[in-house]
Amino acid sequence: MSAAPHLVISGVSKRFGAATVLDRVDLTIRRGELVTLLGPSGCGKTTLLRAIAGLAPPDGGTIALAGRDVTHVPPHRRNVGVVFQSYALFPHLTVAGNVAFGLKVRGAPKAEIDRAVERALSLVKLGHLGSRRISALSGGQQQRVALARAIAVEPDVLLFDEALSALDRKLREEMQVELRRLLQEVKATAIFVTHDQDEALTMSDRVAVMNKGRIEQLAEPRELYARPASLFALNFVGLSTRIAGQVVGGSNGTVEVVTPVGRLSARGAFQPGASVIVATRPEQLRLGTGDGANSAAGRVRSVVFQGSRTLVDVDAGAGASLLAELSGREAELPRVHDEVRFAWPVAETFAFAAEAS
Amino acid sequence: MMTRTAIIICWTLAIGLALFLLLPLVVIAAASFSPTPVFDLPLSGASTRWYGRIGRLDGFWPSLSLSLQIAVLSTALSLVAGTLAAIAIARGRLPGATALGTLLVSPLMMPGLVLGIALLQYFRMIGFTATWSALLVAHLVVTLPYVARTMIAGLSRFDFTLIEAARTLGCTYAGSVLRVMVPALAPSFLISGLFSLLASFDNYPVSIFLTDVRSKTLPIRMLQYIEEAPDPTLAALSTLILAGTLVLLLISDRLVGLHRMAGTAD
Ligand SMILES: Nc1ncnc2c1ncn2[C@@H]1O[C@H](COP(=O)(O)OP(=O)(O)OP(=O)(O)O)[C@@H](O)[C@H]1O
Ligand SMILES: [Mg+2]
Repeated sequence: MSAAPHLVISGVSKRFGAATVLDRVDLTIRRGELVTLLGPSGCGKTTLLRAIAGLAPPDGGTIALAGRDVTHVPPHRRNVGVVFQSYALFPHLTVAGNVAFGLKVRGAPKAEIDRAVERALSLVKLGHLGSRRISALSGGQQQRVALARAIAVEPDVLLFDEALSALDRKLREEMQVELRRLLQEVKATAIFVTHDQDEALTMSDRVAVMNKGRIEQLAEPRELYARPASLFALNFVGLSTRIAGQVVGGSNGTVEVVTPVGRLSARGAFQPGASVIVATRPEQLRLGTGDGANSAAGRVRSVVFQGSRTLVDVDAGAGASLLAELSGREAELPRVHDEVRFAWPVAETFAFAAEAS
Repeated sequence: MMTRTAIIICWTLAIGLALFLLLPLVVIAAASFSPTPVFDLPLSGASTRWYGRIGRLDGFWPSLSLSLQIAVLSTALSLVAGTLAAIAIARGRLPGATALGTLLVSPLMMPGLVLGIALLQYFRMIGFTATWSALLVAHLVVTLPYVARTMIAGLSRFDFTLIEAARTLGCTYAGSVLRVMVPALAPSFLISGLFSLLASFDNYPVSIFLTDVRSKTLPIRMLQYIEEAPDPTLAALSTLILAGTLVLLLISDRLVGLHRMAGTAD
């Protein structure tokens, strides 16, 4: 992966009537990078993707691809590959005919087309199905044909709009891993759109969390999970314990917060008196009192066994609850109605402005 | 779940119905080869002499030519107008698109006789008396609904993301329409053209009110022959028309597949 910017989106806006669907979006993607746009329905993911593809030019801002300003270049002269959610395969063509389509349109010589089609089909492991009709394929196979068709033209960037969401869960998880391997193999630069956080964390080098037409955070999956930049990002990716409270003091990027479950310390910079949400991830919670750590007590409301981990939901009183993830090895797992005390490190506790949600 | 008996009953019914529908055609074809003026069973040999007589029928060539002109022209115009209308109705944000579509298709539900009389009265009222043009306009009313209905159905099933897919693969907008939309809609286009051609060519109830002594369409001329001299010449002519229709169907089948045209695919 080279560090050179490959796709540069700056200040891109899009309005439909009175609604601002994209609000000055900035996003820079390096060559060979796999980036996911993650966000709730209606936040503008598809709109941003269509702007990059040239299918719906933005009202403002610029898009540069491979060093060229393409903001107003029509889609057929952009060299982007798109895998649509519905696959959008051409029903009147065979599998090979679909994959060859882009090269034929470009007027490539026959021998070159045949070679590219064969390579693309073997990459997606469909080498034996070239002469099949599209209607005679399973959903997973159609997905692969759509992918082969998009990579056959060797696009500067590959765009996936919820490309895996039509597959059943098991196939989807297999495809996530396989797709990532394949895209790295062909050194593709790709953007996935999804509202499935697991897919985002599995597939990408970096995740862009979108909310209401803006990118709230752009970070590597690990960092996004461990250091969410906003309450929205915290809520959207992974589970968390969230407790509302009032800042009473603090120093050095740490605040003291009074909450219904007691006094807690959290990372963040707020003036005393500010209303905040204190949050932490469930796997940070440990049974016991801990040393110099945050801690809170309550009564176990539910214990959910999930294979390698167990989720414990604790009613901490005054409407607050604690969510803890304990590993299966934890010798003494609490039971429902047990009184328990949990502790978690201050370094893994964050404070967010309360009104942000 | 269907039982064996039910399957047998269904097949018997289907075959019986097909026989019932097709038998008259077989009889007509057999009669056209009859050596005697009166068709009789069992056949006593075969003759093609009635075929030779078709061309000598009084006023046959002008009628054939008129019918073909009207059928081909009304079909061509219907295909253009009907397809454009269907695009506007199925795709555009036209206010009242559904009502417009129903209106366009409504002549299909009207008895031909009523349509014929109504058109006759109307043309008289507005002083539109040129027979040929009146026939063409009347046949347009008959053929346009076939095209509009089939094309609206075809277009509403068409996935417009296919066009976007083609554009991202390097096609211009027009190129995408040509390479993706046209092939996808070709079956609808062909079948509606075929229906329209046949509907116009064998139309009787509407034409009868609009023709005059000098210009008669073929079906009307044929009825006149039957009244004047009922001999197997007419059977021979009918058999030829039948053969022509079959050829058209076979060509269409080759081009797009009849199963796709009948809309039974996928
Ligand atoms: N052509 C359009 N005309 C008017 N509004 C539109 C149009 N396309 C999208 N929108 C609106 O823009 C907003 C964002 O749409 P977009 O399709 O980008 O969302 P999304 O993030 O892809 O959502 P989803 O996860 O449901 O696909 C939505 O509120 C949608 O209603
Ligand atoms: Mg979308």
